Amino acid sequence: MKLLLVEDDALLADSLLELLRGGGHRVEHLNDGDTALARLASAEHGVDLILLDLNLPGTGGLEVLEALRQHDPETPVLILTARGAVEDRVRGLDLGADDYLGKPFSLDELEARVRALLRRHSRTTRLSLGPLELDVTTLGFTLDGDPFPLPPREQRLLACLLRHAGEPVDKSRLAEQAFSGEPMGDNAIEVYVHRLRKRLPAERLALRTVRGLGYLLEGDP
Amino acid sequence: MKAAHSLYGRLLGWLTLPLLTLGALLLLQAWLEARTTADHAYDRLLEAASLAIAEQVQRQDDRLWLDLPPAALEMLAGDAQERVFYSLSDQQGRHITGNARLPLPSDRSAADGGLLYRDIDWQGLRLRQGIRRSRLEGWQSGESFDVSVAHTREGRDALRFELLRGNLAGILGMGMLAVVTLLMALRAALRPLTRLRHAIRTRDPRTLAPLDLDLPRELAELRETLNGLLSRMRRVRANQERFIGDASHQLRTPLAGISARAELALRQTQPERWRAALETIHSTSENTARLAMQLLSLTRLANPEYRPELIPVDLNDCARQAVRDHWMTCHQAGVDLGADCLASPVHVAADWQLQESLANLIDNSRRYGASRITLGVMTHPPRLVIEDDGPGIPADQHLLVLRPFHRGRDDHEGSGLGLAIADGIARNHGARLSLGDSAMGSSLRVEIRFPEASQ
Repeated sequence: MKLLLVEDDALLADSLLELLRGGGHRVEHLNDGDTALARLASAEHGVDLILLDLNLPGTGGLEVLEALRQHDPETPVLILTARGAVEDRVRGLDLGADDYLGKPFSLDELEARVRALLRRHSRTTRLSLGPLELDVTTLGFTLDGDPFPLPPREQRLLACLLRHAGEPVDKSRLAEQAFSGEPMGDNAIEVYVHRLRKRLPAERLALRTVRGLGYLLEGDP
Repeated sequence: MKAAHSLYGRLLGWLTLPLLTLGALLLLQAWLEARTTADHAYDRLLEAASLAIAEQVQRQDDRLWLDLPPAALEMLAGDAQERVFYSLSDQQGRHITGNARLPLPSDRSAADGGLLYRDIDWQGLRLRQGIRRSRLEGWQSGESFDVSVAHTREGRDALRFELLRGNLAGILGMGMLAVVTLLMALRAALRPLTRLRHAIRTRDPRTLAPLDLDLPRELAELRETLNGLLSRMRRVRANQERFIGDASHQLRTPLAGISARAELALRQTQPERWRAALETIHSTSENTARLAMQLLSLTRLANPEYRPELIPVDLNDCARQAVRDHWMTCHQAGVDLGADCLASPVHVAADWQLQESLANLIDNSRRYGASRITLGVMTHPPRLVIEDDGPGIPADQHLLVLRPFHRGRDDHEGSGLGLAIADGIARNHGARLSLGDSAMGSSLRVEIRFPEASQ
């Protein structure tokens, strides 16, 4: 995957470059807002994910984001910033950022968010998490390469959880995305989750309950 | 146009407008008056001439006969070389004699016994005509006749312009005087504004001392408003200065620790010592960064000028969002974070700071040994409840731990700011934060109680 890192702090940028390149990504690094604006000016920038610092010399990160969203509503943007307040986060998300990390952050967390964003915005037809793989067009699952047949409702439920792997998914959202149109009580969802949980290899894929909220699918627990 | 935006220009404009109108009216009046006066003077000549002619009219051979002495017409031709015309006509308006066939008004009864004046256009000439109806003295028949005398207007016009010229000089003089007075008055009235501007411009930009300047009442109000602003700015700046002092003190300590640990590690050669030092440095630097953020939150809260922008928020959404945001961090630390929401929405007026408050409370519980944290929502009054199964806080410490920099428990990790920030945010929302023991025994229950919705 092709990543663009816009970060002016050399120490942090070096660490992030090392981390992301180690994770098998091609990473391009820019250290100010003006070059980032120029780099992203055309719709054919060929970047799959942008990691954007807000506090940049010259043009600020929020302005870069705003300019990018004028012509490119798709490419996921992860904001990295020392401005920790929720206020700035709200502004960033309003302007079209997809996620937000306040500095300082742990590298584990950054990796997880990058993975999640790339998965969610993947243009490929295959999604994978650990041993599990999904063909988005047919909704067919494979586990370790072998077909992993599921009843239709559980199949849609797992597809929805996989799309959002690594983050809690609300029950209401599950009901809407996995059982669209069908009247479905919270208890019914619980039943399907329970059945699904029993089918998954518990030692390699965890379907966790987030109390009072929903569920979360995690690989390599 | 620039003048429209200047006070001076605006005043000048509004004062000049009536002045110009008045001047124009005066001019018009002078013009009309000069015309009346000139006509009046020359009409007397017409009257005299027509009378002189009428006296010469006789009856001969049963006809009216006029033998005109040249003097009668000469009095009508002044210096201005006017052309003079006369005509005599009988009762029926038939022309008898004269040097021109002057037109007569269709209704001549008005002229009976007197003189009728009128302006006429005759063969391309602008004439003033006087018509006198008269009778022959001593004749029984009493036949009446009309004497019509007219002359061109050169003399009248010349007189009129002369009269006007005299008036014009006076009007112009008065106008000039008025304008000069106006300019001086405006300058004098606006001078305090110049002084104020000068006083502001020459101030040291770093000073926030009040403006001390003697000004007229309207500007004194402006000065007071400005001084009010300056005093609020002084308060904000004092607050910021205090923060910078506190922050540098608070941050210097962990930085000194990091520096000492690194220096010590560099003197050693065993990789396992380096590793241990790096681990300490990593965790200390994380805590330091968190401390910096908390200090910033606290300053914002302590800012006397800060007013939250409150919008209606569902506490259920608020709790769910907080769980979503912090679940991963808690999960990685082995803490089970969950929500206990209500089915129906519970609306309060809040802003984004409420999330920051919850973040601090979750963080606090996690750091102080909880393994299970639950965010709950309750109604009547609307409440957010954060309950954990940690060691709890002794009741006698409940108020103390809300103070900034108070370290309630014997810990070395906390900054002593989390609860103070949460409390400050609750106050900003008109809510009350209180600590209590949870139902689970020796654990902590923090409740943020909002005022009952007023609608």
